[in-house]
Amino acid sequence: MRVDTSAVPSGRTRIRVPRYRKRESVKDFLCVAPALAFFAVFVYYPLADLFRIGFTNWNLIRDSYKFVGLKNYKWLFHGSGLGTWLSSLRITFSYTFWEIAITLIGGMLLAALFNRESKAFAAMRSLVFMPKYIAVSTSAIVFMWILNDQYGFMNYLLGLFGVAPVSWLNSEKTAFTSLLILTGWRVVGYGMMIYLSAMKGISKDYYEAAQLDGANGFQRFRFVTLPLLSPTTLFLFVTTFIASMKVFQSVDVMTDGGPYESTNVMVYWIYDLAFVQFRVDRAAVVAGVFFVILLAFTAATMKISNKNVHYDS
Amino acid sequence: MNGRRGCMAAIALLVAGGVFCVGAQDAKKYEVKSPIQIEWWHALESQYAPLIERVVADFERQNPNIDVTAIYQGSYKDLNEKLIAAQAAGTTLPAVVVANTPYIAEYGASGLCEVLDPYIKATKFDIGDFGTGLRAASSYDGKQVSLPFLISTQIMFYNKDMADAEGIRLPETWADMDAFMKKAAKSSGGTVQRYATVFPGWDQWYFEPFFLNNGVKIVNKDGLSTDLASPKAVGVAKKLKQWCDDKVSYWAYGKDASSVMRQNFMEGKTFSVIHTTSLYNMYATNCGFKVGMHYLPGASTRDSEIGGCVLLIPAKNKQDVKNAGWKLLSYLTGKEVNMLWARETGYMPTRNSVTKTSEGKAYLAEKPAFKAVFDNLDHIYPRIQHTAYSALSKIWMQELAKVIIEGGDVQAAMNRAAVLIDEALED
Repeated sequence: MRVDTSAVPSGRTRIRVPRYRKRESVKDFLCVAPALAFFAVFVYYPLADLFRIGFTNWNLIRDSYKFVGLKNYKWLFHGSGLGTWLSSLRITFSYTFWEIAITLIGGMLLAALFNRESKAFAAMRSLVFMPKYIAVSTSAIVFMWILNDQYGFMNYLLGLFGVAPVSWLNSEKTAFTSLLILTGWRVVGYGMMIYLSAMKGISKDYYEAAQLDGANGFQRFRFVTLPLLSPTTLFLFVTTFIASMKVFQSVDVMTDGGPYESTNVMVYWIYDLAFVQFRVDRAAVVAGVFFVILLAFTAATMKISNKNVHYDS
Repeated sequence: MNGRRGCMAAIALLVAGGVFCVGAQDAKKYEVKSPIQIEWWHALESQYAPLIERVVADFERQNPNIDVTAIYQGSYKDLNEKLIAAQAAGTTLPAVVVANTPYIAEYGASGLCEVLDPYIKATKFDIGDFGTGLRAASSYDGKQVSLPFLISTQIMFYNKDMADAEGIRLPETWADMDAFMKKAAKSSGGTVQRYATVFPGWDQWYFEPFFLNNGVKIVNKDGLSTDLASPKAVGVAKKLKQWCDDKVSYWAYGKDASSVMRQNFMEGKTFSVIHTTSLYNMYATNCGFKVGMHYLPGASTRDSEIGGCVLLIPAKNKQDVKNAGWKLLSYLTGKEVNMLWARETGYMPTRNSVTKTSEGKAYLAEKPAFKAVFDNLDHIYPRIQHTAYSALSKIWMQELAKVIIEGGDVQAAMNRAAVLIDEALED
């Protein structure tokens, strides 16, 4: 086959962009300019400033400060901050793992259970989803009382079965679990609703075809529902990952990062450094490093998911 | 001779006139010359809203040029966050703001507060009427950076009916504590029926006096190290742990520890609690028995520390805002309203003259439990001022709570705390 190359400009010849295209480009840019300006002022500038503050000794109150080079990074990676950083990172990842597990597994199971068309199921779905409407701080205060070791409902309930009172929020063995109880109560309904809407979007033809091929209920779920839910799973995974890594409110209300730093998640530590210890310089370094970790994990997730997510439905 | 005398008198008159003129000029510098609107940020919850409205309305009547908006900004912690944010931004700063006493060291060191000494001097504000301790607690580096506002101290609240009925003697010294614990606590068949007292472990301010009165410095003279691993400090910690292990007391720790402790006291599950004097009204109103206050037992000394809050003017404000702020600040801490705060909030009167007036005597007749505080006013000192004190207290609190509640070796725990605290102080 011969290709006609006469219209292709040779070597250094510049391609002339038609004038209307240029006008369109300017128009496009003007359309996104307000959003870009907003991001520049409220996201990118604070982010850049965060990294700048990490190289200073500013405490947020003083007007003057000095540039101290890598001193704050040394404190974090080679100094007294390392132990707390590693422990906080472990706690944060652990919390994230459990929140993702509860959202994905619990949400999917509940969605499979409640995927029925009746008023009773609609009411039950609403009940399960309702906690998501309640503010985290409000739920946290209620759970503080439910989990109170002397006056709480949870220990009263356990007492009926002869179980000794548990110091839910004041023991380092149970405080983390207590946070997860609140988290599970709040997020499982959200996972269910997202999965339910995705399930309703799967064409019935796939199930009929699978049934004709002799697939049983589990096989239909495993080979039809699960792969076709993968975009939803990816969406839930990424959004839950980012949200749970930034957990703060429930920790602030229920435990203050304690007891004995057993719930000292990363964002709470950043807050504590900045506003309790007046070390905004160190808080900026921890926040900057945390941002890079989050970015890397999200990018890696997106890359890996491209191979495993099916958008066929 | 007469001429000489006349000359001297003329010079004296000139000097006196000059001084008067300079003083008057200084006072003029801080006058509010045109109408102005200012904000006062505070941490007094909704139950105090009518009182605040009343005080602000009275102030505005006396100062028609100044329009005050009093804004409740949440707890001391919330208030600190908002103040720091406003300070960093350099805008939206209030003219006057309340601050919990431990923040004064960091605020003072960072230049957040306006130095009030020139205002005090120019307007002849009676600063000497506050006790030495109160003045020191609201100063930083010898400068008056704030003024005492709602002041409290640590105290032991006890069930007076129970004490009278059972003849329980309250401990005057650390050495009396064992006998007191034995007498006031009750158990049956290994089950605790009543604790003798409760130690609030959620805030180091409450247990700090036991260490200080036993000769522990907490921050050594060099300002860079602690003596919390010393035999004296470990001895106090061991004793506290022993009482908790013996179940004659418990270590209240965690976010809800304060409310649970109050509930336990109201329900008679503990004979006494260690808390802040500012909660006297709350205890007296909600307990179905007479509530007494007992000054904390001493050892080599018998001192307590100042708590509560002070009032300050952010230095970044414009001069006209600072002038109006000073008017409000001096009014809020003045003699006229001092007793009003004390009577209606449960905080202590802060002015010496007020405690000696008929109003002060009437206050004591109304709240006789406060005699324990009035008798010891000279023994109430400021907290330790160090910019790293919040980091220090967090480490200390955690290690002490862990070893008392979860168990372990006290010396090892205090050693661990001391290493971390030394690092924080050196920083």
